[in-house]
Amino acid sequence: MKAESHAESPLLKSILAIDINKCTGCRNCELACSVAHTKSFNPSRSRIQILKNEDQNLILPMVCLQCEEPLCEQACPNGAISYNEKGTLYVSSKVCIGCMNCVTACTFGGIEIDPMTRKAIKCDLCWGDPACIKACEYDAISMAEAKSEGLDARRKGVDVVNQTLGLNIGEE
Amino acid sequence: MTFPYKGYAGYYLEVDLTKGKVHKKEMEKEWARLYLGGSGVAAKILWDRTGPETNPLGPDNVLVVGTGPLTGAMFSPSGRMMFAAKSPLTGVWAESHVGGFMGPELKYAGFDFVIINGRSEKPVYLYLKDGDAELRDASHLWGRETDVTTRMIREELKNPTVETAVIGPASENKVLYGAIIVGFYRAAGRAGLGTVMGSKNLKAIVASGSLGFEAYDMDKYLEANEQEMEKLRDPLWTESLASLRKYGTTDLVAIINEIGRLPTKNHWTGFYEQADDIGPEVIAEKYRIGQEACHGCAIGCKYIVRVTDSKFNTGPIGGPEYETLMAFGSNCLNNDVESLFHLGKRCDLLGMDTISCGKTIGFAMDLWEQGFLTAKDTDGLNLGWGNVDTQVELVEKIAKREGIGDTLANGVRKAAEMIGGEAWRYAVHVKGLEASGQDPRAHQSIGLTYATNVRGADHLRSLSSLEELGYPGIVIERFGKEKADAILDIMSPEHKGEVVWDMEDLYALVDSAVICKYGTMWPPVYYYDTFVNTIPHLTGMTEWGDAKFVRSAAERISHLRRAYNHRLGVTRKEENLPPRLLEEPMPTGPAKGGLPDLDIMLDDYYKFRGCDKETGYPLESKLKELQLDFVVDDLKARGMTR
Repeated sequence: MKAESHAESPLLKSILAIDINKCTGCRNCELACSVAHTKSFNPSRSRIQILKNEDQNLILPMVCLQCEEPLCEQACPNGAISYNEKGTLYVSSKVCIGCMNCVTACTFGGIEIDPMTRKAIKCDLCWGDPACIKACEYDAISMAEAKSEGLDARRKGVDVVNQTLGLNIGEE
Repeated sequence: MTFPYKGYAGYYLEVDLTKGKVHKKEMEKEWARLYLGGSGVAAKILWDRTGPETNPLGPDNVLVVGTGPLTGAMFSPSGRMMFAAKSPLTGVWAESHVGGFMGPELKYAGFDFVIINGRSEKPVYLYLKDGDAELRDASHLWGRETDVTTRMIREELKNPTVETAVIGPASENKVLYGAIIVGFYRAAGRAGLGTVMGSKNLKAIVASGSLGFEAYDMDKYLEANEQEMEKLRDPLWTESLASLRKYGTTDLVAIINEIGRLPTKNHWTGFYEQADDIGPEVIAEKYRIGQEACHGCAIGCKYIVRVTDSKFNTGPIGGPEYETLMAFGSNCLNNDVESLFHLGKRCDLLGMDTISCGKTIGFAMDLWEQGFLTAKDTDGLNLGWGNVDTQVELVEKIAKREGIGDTLANGVRKAAEMIGGEAWRYAVHVKGLEASGQDPRAHQSIGLTYATNVRGADHLRSLSSLEELGYPGIVIERFGKEKADAILDIMSPEHKGEVVWDMEDLYALVDSAVICKYGTMWPPVYYYDTFVNTIPHLTGMTEWGDAKFVRSAAERISHLRRAYNHRLGVTRKEENLPPRLLEEPMPTGPAKGGLPDLDIMLDDYYKFRGCDKETGYPLESKLKELQLDFVVDDLKARGMTR
């Protein structure tokens, strides 16, 4: 679904790409994210979340994909989600009213509610220097340019989600 | 809040199962300052609340569930937690540590420790969430295997991410080596702490937390943390880490067999000719489907296997560790690796320690060969070496305490007493704990480790990898050039008392922090300075920036655990080795002819530890120096100080 007012995100510059084959599910990225954003060790407040079910050997990192047509932004009734000067979508916690519309709208689990502030939080790429990348000892997370190669790498990271949703995106 | 330190959740929980009540309490400042956390604090609690009169399976036993300041604090590898109580298997000090995600979650849920007292009338489980705790009915979970229990709890709480520590049917049936299973396939296995939970009618401990915790000085702590990580990233260890990531602990099957230390045929020898069949290469190539890591761990030694087209088919499960491959494999002369996956899996689901279970089965197979057990004792089972079907059957029988399983569920020491005659000669244990996968006839210092380990015959309180794998640089750095040659000689007893004393204190901190042995035991990267560098910035305990204070804390923990055992009757006489490892020279393999010189090493160890050589009792002056005056008061009256 395309909303008219959203152009091809001219501001979008960088995205996170995750190689799920390298991810061990250690969740150090969550810790690093919580330290960077909340100065505390609290993975539940992380903007990257590892969905993990050891019973099924399922390890699935979930983080904002910095969509070209962000459903979260469209769903926000208060205009709290916008691009920062680095070309990254971010949530202004001052404007956010915690209605959770964005959480419902995002099909990738890329935006969530901070259990402390009850406001929406999502990856802001640490304003250009993501803490999760440095924290990943398995080199599973990298920063990519929002060009075809980077977008392709990003897609592979959510293949499992796409399959679950019955979406067919990209090649294969 | 008056608890002054950061790096802790700041609270602990008292659970009175008899009354069905929980009490949230503020952390004790002195617990943190003097004992750090984990094993140290557990030692203080158990010393205060249990003793010679405590029945390990009675309501008077106390189960301590603990974390430490480094737990969940982004130190790698620190995704661990511990349990401690008086052991039903050994009757002495027991602690068991486990990785996964439960430890950090406990802290994020707002608790550093949970102390479980009494006995519930009906089965219950404990649910901890964001600073609150409640006991919930577990009648519908009783009797269920550990995976089903975990799934049912997650469904009931409508939260697929709650972390769990559960027991299985084996612990409910009072198998003396019942394990506590964390997540789905990680175990606090040793010494029967699951059985203690079972005796209290406590089926599970469950945590979910979003409270988090802070550092005293986050920037300085992260900087110190990074410096420690750099040590692990040193090119010197690249290969070790790559091996751990590729093979996990299975690589040890090959490495240890090469030095002739792989327990084979109930510890008859240390060399297994079929080791390749159960070794790292075949597992990695044919069965391994993925890598896994505990919380925040940069090492990632856990691996996942799947078996298809076999009578031991299984969906994805946590692959067996070295100890499991050894206990059911080489130790029972079973080279069918698919059956080992199955046996490990069944132990996890039934909630049993794979080491004690496998070792007890190996012991029974030995008795079968020697003629102490015949078909009429074994419900018709053939206990010939390597009989896979028998092993599979025995695991189920032990968990149910059925037939011969009822005897074997007691571990080798008690089973030998029940069987009688010379059976005790084949029971390979110290203080009642079945030996883990090492052998002092191929590695002198592990003999001293087994003998002095407060929980019995295993490696985790003080194993030295320095001479086992040969790290001359580190030996010189820690013990000086003059001693290096003797220390590096794996079969020399010289200076091994000092080495084991040093390791025991180091691991006392590791187990109190609470972090993983990887990074400290192997590769031997972290040392006392690791704690000096990180703990003050994390916690604000400035004294921990003083190397002397840190070493004293380590010694304090070591001595308090030893004192706990003295009070239960442990002396030098009990700090011994079983006849097979002490008197029968290694018959085959690279370590052929080897025997440990235990007495020489023990004398040396007691000197460094500050103990009397004749009895092993502590010197009063040493205890006072370590601010253990309350221990002096108690032990002195019993004539147990010197």
